[in-house]
Amino acid sequence: MENMKTIKKGLFISVFGKKAWMTVFLVFLFAVFNACNNQETDDEKPEIDLTIADAFPVNCDTLYFGEDFSFQALLKDNVELGSYSIDIHNNFDHHSHSSEVTECELWPKKVPVNPFVFINDYDIPQGSREYKTSQKITIPAGNGNGAFDEGDYHFYISLTDKEGWSIQKGLSIKILKRR
Amino acid sequence: MRVFWLLFVVLALPVSAISQQIFTLSGIVGDNDKQPLPAASVLVSPGNYGTVTDKNGKFIIGKLQPGDYTIQVIYLGYKKYSCQLNLKNNVTLEITLEPELLTLNEITITDNYADQRKREESVSVEVVNNEYLKQNLGGSLMKSLDRLPGVSTIDIGSGQSKPVIRGLGFNRVVVTENGIKHEGQQWGADHGLEVDQFASDRIVVIKGPSSLMYGSDGIGGVIELKQLEIPVKNSFGGSVDLIGKTNNNFAGFSAMFYNRWEKLYFTGRVTLLDFADYRVPTDSVEIYSYEAPLYENRMRNTAGDEIDLHFTAGYVNNGFSTKLFLSNVYNKSGFFANAHGLEPRRVDTNFHDKSDRDVQYPYQTVNHFKAINKTEWRTEQMQFLADVGFQWNFRQELSQYVSHGYMPAVFPDSLPYPSDLELEFDKYILSANLKTELQASEKALISLGSQTEYQNNKTGGRGFIIPSFTQFTSGGFVHVKYNSSENSILQAGLRHDFGMIETEAYSDWFPSPVETEPDTGWAYLQRAPALTRRFSSFTGSVGYSFNSEHFSAKANLGKSFRMPIAKELAANGVNYHHFSYEVGNPDLSPEIAFQFDGGLEIYSPRFAAGVTPFVNYFANYIYLNPTSEHDRLYGNGNQVFYYTQSRVFRWGGEIHSHCEFTENWQLGLITDYVYSVQLSGEKKGFTLPFSPPATVLFNLKYARKKVGVLTNPHFSVDYRITAKQNNIVPPEEKTPGSAIFNLAFGAGIPLKSQVVSVAVQVQNLFNTKYFNHTSYYRLINVPEPGRNLVVNVNIPFSVK
Repeated sequence: MENMKTIKKGLFISVFGKKAWMTVFLVFLFAVFNACNNQETDDEKPEIDLTIADAFPVNCDTLYFGEDFSFQALLKDNVELGSYSIDIHNNFDHHSHSSEVTECELWPKKVPVNPFVFINDYDIPQGSREYKTSQKITIPAGNGNGAFDEGDYHFYISLTDKEGWSIQKGLSIKILKRR
Repeated sequence: MRVFWLLFVVLALPVSAISQQIFTLSGIVGDNDKQPLPAASVLVSPGNYGTVTDKNGKFIIGKLQPGDYTIQVIYLGYKKYSCQLNLKNNVTLEITLEPELLTLNEITITDNYADQRKREESVSVEVVNNEYLKQNLGGSLMKSLDRLPGVSTIDIGSGQSKPVIRGLGFNRVVVTENGIKHEGQQWGADHGLEVDQFASDRIVVIKGPSSLMYGSDGIGGVIELKQLEIPVKNSFGGSVDLIGKTNNNFAGFSAMFYNRWEKLYFTGRVTLLDFADYRVPTDSVEIYSYEAPLYENRMRNTAGDEIDLHFTAGYVNNGFSTKLFLSNVYNKSGFFANAHGLEPRRVDTNFHDKSDRDVQYPYQTVNHFKAINKTEWRTEQMQFLADVGFQWNFRQELSQYVSHGYMPAVFPDSLPYPSDLELEFDKYILSANLKTELQASEKALISLGSQTEYQNNKTGGRGFIIPSFTQFTSGGFVHVKYNSSENSILQAGLRHDFGMIETEAYSDWFPSPVETEPDTGWAYLQRAPALTRRFSSFTGSVGYSFNSEHFSAKANLGKSFRMPIAKELAANGVNYHHFSYEVGNPDLSPEIAFQFDGGLEIYSPRFAAGVTPFVNYFANYIYLNPTSEHDRLYGNGNQVFYYTQSRVFRWGGEIHSHCEFTENWQLGLITDYVYSVQLSGEKKGFTLPFSPPATVLFNLKYARKKVGVLTNPHFSVDYRITAKQNNIVPPEEKTPGSAIFNLAFGAGIPLKSQVVSVAVQVQNLFNTKYFNHTSYYRLINVPEPGRNLVVNVNIPFSVK
């Protein structure tokens, strides 16, 4: 029996090493201590506020090819904001919808020929809990393949905070040629 | 002083007198083929000494006084054995049991295997048989198991789930079928386990790290699925199961047959399942702030069907047996149409809601083929086992093409795959396990074994999440089981693993803009570089278990390891199920975990209670960390998740107890709890994803042996309380607690010479709207299925 114990002990140490076991033991103690003194973690999502007076665009707004516009929204978080991204893609097949209460009138479905695509992400100054965007975005009139298709587009905003919580908002908009 | 000595002698006398006159009765129990019969009951009277045979059919009963004894051996499916013996020295018996002609079903229903296995292991183990599965039939095999303490599931829809053991799932749980590790696409949350839920006769769940016997992925636990034992000689028979469920208008049929001559036998099974969209107690669900209305409470496009085939042929003779299992599992099922792709989707409701049985885009098909040979050869001193397997797993996700990122607006016809093929996984797996057991001495059993596996994974389709890869793993172990006394077992094991993974480079099929001075150029971007990683590790465990008539205790300490998988190393793409962008980390180190497992149990014929705690530490848990970054090239600016590693501490356990307060009434209680916390990294202080909340299950059961013509009539109520889960990590949602009632009843009805068994369940009796924190659809606020009446009828037949 005594012999068995020695063998067992030897096996232990040869497999894991003395240090490893000491570490494990200390970490267990530490972890139990930690678990009991649970620090508060951030569990709140950030917020995209499009109800401010000069918010742009809002649901059913129209943008124009060959022009600039300013993306204006109030972004908020309880601890610290992360970054935001904007994606504009065609909704000619009506696959997307807005997350807003108001429904917009859509044009008839159509097959895209040269649709406009825009994807970009933007930094938010570090340490911000509130940030009012005023981001200039240019919509070109066309590319090498000619003028972009007019019609229904989807304007998708995604916002994160520093911890990785995120919130999305999808708007139905139209992008047209200024006549 | 003299008085003391006198006292000593007086006290010692009877002891020494007895010790001179006690003997040991041992033996081996086997069948006509010299196949050992494990877990047979051995009873010795007078004195009511009892034990069960070990897995080699052996038993030992010590401390018997000389005299006349009757020895009885009972094993289901075999005629009762009885003999008289005048014990005057140590005796070793060789007992051969004669088979009784019964249907196979009756044979596999109950034996002492469960008790024996639970008590001998030094880690926590649950064993269930096919009777339990029928009485607790869920949407899938894994769902049927989630009533067990410490077991939960990650579900998608009504028929797909993945097992979670004490909060660990995916590649941290090994599922074996007939000894061979099941290899599918374990890493993904969007599909279930490709097994036939009617084809398993016995399921063993090992809670806790099991890398020692099962290799790298056994870090969280193991689920062993086992098929029919060998039929008795010269028998022919089978059974038909008919299954119906009201929630998703499920219709199922599963038929099996068996035939055995002297040494040769075969068995087969066909399972056909068809189900409609499942129903939830709500009119609409909120998907990322978008309200999607549901027609007639149906989860749009979650219907599906399944076709499973099995065939086994085997040969048994004189301690030698070999069998070949062939199986093919095919499943087609729809994804909830509003929540697949890059963003919540608008659907053509007229088209989708026309029928609740059709499967439209988006959907998946999975086909899993297996060929496994299992060969065993036993002699008195030695046992040799070899399992060899081939598997082919083929899965496709199909959806309408939607250009995103810089994909062309119209899908080009120059590509080698159709426009609707979103993702394809094509996987071949070869496995071989060898094991030998040597009875080194009367008390020591030594096992030596090796496991080797090679897999080749090809990925295809227009989407990209992981590259094609090949993987080779090989491990060898030695395990010693030592019966240190009549009641206690010491076990220790040591293992070495080697693994290698090679991923292929992958580049986009469409160009994206690249900022190069002075203007923007376009290039086919490389998403994953070619990569080769090699891993190796020593692992081990030591354990102790003690069993007496009314008490058992166990303790186990182990080190486990898990190799990073291809997705963790090389992912770089949109996860179409989570609206997220996932990035692998080629520098990840293998996970190392240390775990202590304990167990205490008391039992008497009327009462049992036990507690099985665990403490677990991961030195480098691999974790998909959500960041504040956004991807600009592939999605619509999806949030980026990176694989990273952190130190993790977990503890928890299960408590179970039951009490038979009269002969027919039984009250039971099962509760489980897991706490996890990340000790380092960016999410320090947060828990791990998919952390199951604490649950308490009260069960009241009424059962009798016979009422009129009915056999085993039973009625039971489950009241399951699930705590709220506020301990979450991005992007999860807090989940409120819930309380659900489930009813179950059933009986056997004699029909000619057979017994037809009927099992009925009413799940979610009050059609309560509640959320399951570990459901895959939790993030989009889909509640759990509403009320569901489940009926299972089993009709056996046999020819004598």
